[in-house]
Amino acid sequence: MTSSNVSRRSLLRTAALGAGTMALGGGLSACGSGSPSSSADTLTYWDWYVTQAPWVDKEIELFEKAHSGVGVKKTTQQNAKYPDLVALANRSGNPPDVFMIPQVPSVAEQVAKGWLHPLDEWATPKWQSRFPEGTFLEGANVFDGKVYSAPLKGSGAQLQLYIHHGVFTSVGLTNPDGSVKIPRTWDEVTSAAQTITKKSGGKSYGFGFGNADGIGVLAWWLDLFVRGAGAPGGAPTAPGTGMDYRVGKWTFGTDRAYADFLELFVEWKKRGFFHPNSVSLSDEAARAFFERGKFGMTVGGVWNQPEWTQHKFTDYSLVTLPSPTATPKGYWYADPVGNGAFAAVSAKSKKAHEAFQWLDALTSPAAGRRWVQDLNGVSVYPEGNDPDGIDSKPFAAFVGMTEQVLRGPVPLVRNPELAGVAPSVPKPDISDVVAGVYTGQIKDVQGALSSLADKKFQLLSDAVAAVAKKGKKVSTSDYVFTDWDPTKPYTTKKA
Amino acid sequence: MSLLDTRERRRTPATAPPVAARNGLWQRIRAAKWSYVYLAPMAVLLLAFVIYPIFASFGYTFYRWNGIGSPGEYVGLDNFRQILHDGIFWGAVKHTFLYAFVLVPVQLLLALALALVLNNPKLKFALFFRTVYFIPVVTSAAVVGVVIQLMLANFGDSAGSLLAKTGVTNGHIDWLGDPNTALAVIIAIGIWHTLGYNLVYFLAGLQTIPAELYEAAKLDGCGPVQSFFRITIPMLRQVGVVIVVLAFIGSFQVFDLVQVLTGGGPYFATEVVNTYIYHLAFGGAAGAAAQPDIGLASAASFLYGLLLILFSALQVLALRRISRRRTAANQ
Repeated sequence: MTSSNVSRRSLLRTAALGAGTMALGGGLSACGSGSPSSSADTLTYWDWYVTQAPWVDKEIELFEKAHSGVGVKKTTQQNAKYPDLVALANRSGNPPDVFMIPQVPSVAEQVAKGWLHPLDEWATPKWQSRFPEGTFLEGANVFDGKVYSAPLKGSGAQLQLYIHHGVFTSVGLTNPDGSVKIPRTWDEVTSAAQTITKKSGGKSYGFGFGNADGIGVLAWWLDLFVRGAGAPGGAPTAPGTGMDYRVGKWTFGTDRAYADFLELFVEWKKRGFFHPNSVSLSDEAARAFFERGKFGMTVGGVWNQPEWTQHKFTDYSLVTLPSPTATPKGYWYADPVGNGAFAAVSAKSKKAHEAFQWLDALTSPAAGRRWVQDLNGVSVYPEGNDPDGIDSKPFAAFVGMTEQVLRGPVPLVRNPELAGVAPSVPKPDISDVVAGVYTGQIKDVQGALSSLADKKFQLLSDAVAAVAKKGKKVSTSDYVFTDWDPTKPYTTKKA
Repeated sequence: MSLLDTRERRRTPATAPPVAARNGLWQRIRAAKWSYVYLAPMAVLLLAFVIYPIFASFGYTFYRWNGIGSPGEYVGLDNFRQILHDGIFWGAVKHTFLYAFVLVPVQLLLALALALVLNNPKLKFALFFRTVYFIPVVTSAAVVGVVIQLMLANFGDSAGSLLAKTGVTNGHIDWLGDPNTALAVIIAIGIWHTLGYNLVYFLAGLQTIPAELYEAAKLDGCGPVQSFFRITIPMLRQVGVVIVVLAFIGSFQVFDLVQVLTGGGPYFATEVVNTYIYHLAFGGAAGAAAQPDIGLASAASFLYGLLLILFSALQVLALRRISRRRTAANQ
């Protein structure tokens, strides 16, 4: 017997064994798919909600009870990879029945690619009327007159300065009545940070953040502090944001609020007010450090609160728009575009009717109320945003902050043809620039800010030109609202 | 002996070749068919995942494309122009070369020194120490990075404060967050992490040197230092060349350590070419911070490939020149 004979026989035997195993496996899997709880009645649903997962799970439970025989199989994807995963799922022709709409590509692009199912069959005028006026907006969640999505969230104060009561109390930052002395102006924030750093004996620092994840944490600081100083665009924390609509440009280089705050920010660092590992800490770790009192103040959004509440940490306050003066010169502005496109039914769904029922349940007033009560954020339905019905004091404070959110200009309302304009995001963007300034790698702060503002406007001009080339009537002047007073609500007039 | 004689001798082997070799190519393939069967999976994977993407990605260099759908916007050579004018790219090239040119010499010296110690037949527990030094190699760089990131940043505030209080450092240092220390820390971890590879290569090389040479040298009155420079180093030359080439190739591919430890930050202070390409291809960590651009990433990959080919060619030329000089000196 030659070795080659043995090998051939072995190979054939192995192949036969493999084929048998595969057949058996196929049979077994066929058995599985034929079970009563088969995928035929199960909707697939994707999101990136981690801290909000208990709310989603509760909604699934309620939906399944109300729709017997229809199940929802949730998959929570990693936030950073979500756009890629949705794109891949659509390319492979196997997207989930319902999915949270990724930020990239733009909703207009997703509609153009045929990923989203128009909802008009079910989203009747009566159904639409349950939402606040102005919810359905051409270019945001309506394209060519067809509705594709509906909102869940309302517009809240996007960022807050969180204040650790224990740290403040331990260094004597209290009022005569024993309550914590809440800093509201730039000077008060500076003074509080100085007191904590000096008096805590090295146990605590004034400030801290976690920049390691590359999620743009440093842009949050700039955004929070410059708005109240009269820079209504703030800093772009997401694509398509950060513009000062009074001039239709990014004003990093021309509005002195930006350079002034960055100068103060660097000064805070030089004076040792920041936790020294802030640049390399992860955002998660920074959240835990704040909870443990390693620093007295941090900047973040309402998403911090569910985790702290789970850990029974509620000994903190929050303020928004700390300003150089007692009265802010700018505010937060409602974002009907960003909030209007929450989730969508896949164009490839074979259970589109059931899928819409799930989307309907997720965006219902009752689900919105539970969204607020579970401390996730504010609801699109104003009646759901009553601070009085909320047990958590910090969260009630956040809900109360919706008063600081004004209606602002919406270029899409004036010219829906802007829907296809999707300017590229430069690298480095503002968050990188702030990191460069903080670490001392950027010396010419004013130059870096001006250059970035010019670059962003150039990218917008290119994007507008690309859309204009397709025959749309668009111009960069569509972003200019000369009659807008940032301290008052604004109603955009349709063209 | 004439030159013609030599050529003739080369063409006509002294002994008759095996029958299979005298037959055609097909017969030779059939004779070694199982070798080809075993080689086939690797060759197929190499073609699919290395050779094909190299050529396929070259086509993408002419498009602005976010990776979704088919590439549509033809931009000609604009992506190359943009990369060549991008200071962050050249910073990444600088960091990659700095990583390689610091890591390789330091690591080779350390590996050789350790190999000499571990090759000592009188050393007890040699196997244990070899294992200890090799363990980092078999540990994933991502795991190493996560653990060290936790130690230095997320849990490291106590250690940092302790070092500052005891006067070891001038104040609390944010090792991975300070642009002056971050790259040095990554290089140090890189040296430690892959030291075991070169240690094993050197050990293998040392074990091929006949003990008789050292005995003879000893009889001739050579000390350990002379033996090292006159026997060990010349005998390790061949394996040394392989080690240097492999070490440089490995260093130029640095990615996972940087991505996990710093993500290329702070403000690009540790960005290497592979993280730069990754960030272009897949966008920022938050998905929305920067949009993916496969065309730009492909152009950057292509330019980096050209740079490495140029470097490899220079390396080969330099090695040949050294080899010729040595041959001439020996004659």
